[in-house]
Amino acid sequence: MSTHALPSREYVLDALHEVIDPELGYNIVDIGLIYGLEVADNLIKVTLTMTTRGCPAQDYIMEGVKQRGLRIPGVQDVDIHLVWEPPWSPQKMTPVAKAYFHIEDDLP
Amino acid sequence: MPAVSDRLSRWTPLIFACALVNFLLAQTLIVAGMTWPEMALTAGSTLVTVHLITLGWLTLLMFGALFQFVPVITTKPLLNQWLSLAVLILVEFGLAGMIVGFLALNHGASGLVYCLPFGGTLVLAGVLLAMGNIVTPLLHSRPLALPGRFVLAGLAFLLATILLGLTFALALSVPAFTPLVAPLLAGGVGYHVLAGLGGWFTLTAIGVSYKLLPMFMLAPEERGWWGECVLQLGISGFGLSVSAGLLSVWWPQAVLLNAVQYLGWLAIVVAVMAYLIDVLRLYRTRKRARIELHNRATFGAFLSLAAALVIAVILVVSHRLAAYAPALVLLVLFGWLSGLGLTQLYKIVPFLTWIMRYSHQLGRGAVPRVQDLVDEARTSPWFVIYFLGVALATLGAFINVAYVCRTGVTVSAGATLGLAFEYWRAWRGYYAGRARPVAPIPPPCLSRGGPAP
Repeated sequence: MSTHALPSREYVLDALHEVIDPELGYNIVDIGLIYGLEVADNLIKVTLTMTTRGCPAQDYIMEGVKQRGLRIPGVQDVDIHLVWEPPWSPQKMTPVAKAYFHIEDDLP
Repeated sequence: MPAVSDRLSRWTPLIFACALVNFLLAQTLIVAGMTWPEMALTAGSTLVTVHLITLGWLTLLMFGALFQFVPVITTKPLLNQWLSLAVLILVEFGLAGMIVGFLALNHGASGLVYCLPFGGTLVLAGVLLAMGNIVTPLLHSRPLALPGRFVLAGLAFLLATILLGLTFALALSVPAFTPLVAPLLAGGVGYHVLAGLGGWFTLTAIGVSYKLLPMFMLAPEERGWWGECVLQLGISGFGLSVSAGLLSVWWPQAVLLNAVQYLGWLAIVVAVMAYLIDVLRLYRTRKRARIELHNRATFGAFLSLAAALVIAVILVVSHRLAAYAPALVLLVLFGWLSGLGLTQLYKIVPFLTWIMRYSHQLGRGAVPRVQDLVDEARTSPWFVIYFLGVALATLGAFINVAYVCRTGVTVSAGATLGLAFEYWRAWRGYYAGRARPVAPIPPPCLSRGGPAP
């Protein structure tokens, strides 16, 4: 039985900033690959996508998320769910990532 | 999850290294004046050089890239990783046999001439294994995306090219077989070249670029009816011109065959033009404002393809294609196909390096980015020099001044050597140690920002 309190969702999200998409060279949270995150019962459930179907780095990014999640005190397992819908697009990036890649917001 | 996933083609780096050695060897032969333009096109050493480039360099390069990227395109694994190594061994030994056979042809060593069909058979075996390895995931992917269909079409042309080549090899080495295919031997070599350079290399390169360009530039992947037109026109164009051309070898007076051949040429011209326009659209609609060196340098390859198209049209219309075909082939081989290959290697090599050397660190600490494994400022002059060398060599070939052509190839060979050194540095992680940490550990619940622009 773990003696650590469960981490908050924000804490986990911050930790996942350490995982990068190696090709884009930027963290997967700000790129917008994380579609969902739940923290409950010493378990983290991450729903994520990739920038393109069959991304060569897909397995390594998922493994990276798992490894980083397991390093958080109180977390015993990380459940990763890879989805393709809705498809990722650069518009899913946070403003800071868009600024880094010089990506303009789509017009409404 | 496996430490090395089935998305990684383990033998691809070795295949790339062997391909590069073959390319440098071929360039060395040209620089040494041992091949065309100093020697005849039919000289054994010229044929050795041509096959070192087409089989030893470009085909192996394409196989290495396809072994890595077909699982990416299809999300299905290769049939078997070990088949990739078997393909490399068969193609390299087959090529060695062919080289001995070509040289024996010129030196009258009749016993060794049999090495030509023997080597060709080994190459055919390697190609069939490669096709099995690549086609299996393609056929298991439903619906098959546009890049995958280009690859399937390209492989069909590859088989046709190899079978034609094997027929020539038998005709040259087995006297009893020669009369049966004498017309083919006399007039069919051009279609062997067209099937290889156009149907195999160009269609496959278009397909792979339709996956890689959007992926690396964050451009829309869906090419819609435009991409479909490029595919259909490309297949029918190369298919019609090659098949009608081969038949016209036996029936040279058949007007219908000539008409079909011209129809094929027209389809090829429209397909390549449509592709180049689509490439421009891809660059224009990209979301990544600042693109990386490999995507900037690839423009040299696209310019070469556009130049080759314009020159080919002029030569066909003015009925001077036969006279200048070698110069045109040089532009396609060095500018378009090798240019595309060298520029894309500059991304693929560090990507494979990252996966093999650094991927296991992801989530356990700071890791370098793929971009951290290369030094673009140091490498970009090599690409400029390479394409300038190709332009000079092409000019020399068209004005028929051998030393200008050789000087151009010398320049591009030097640049190839420089690029090979940079690939090696990327592979060894030479620049990785200089990289700043990319994924700093942020204090929990504080900054949500990434690295500074």
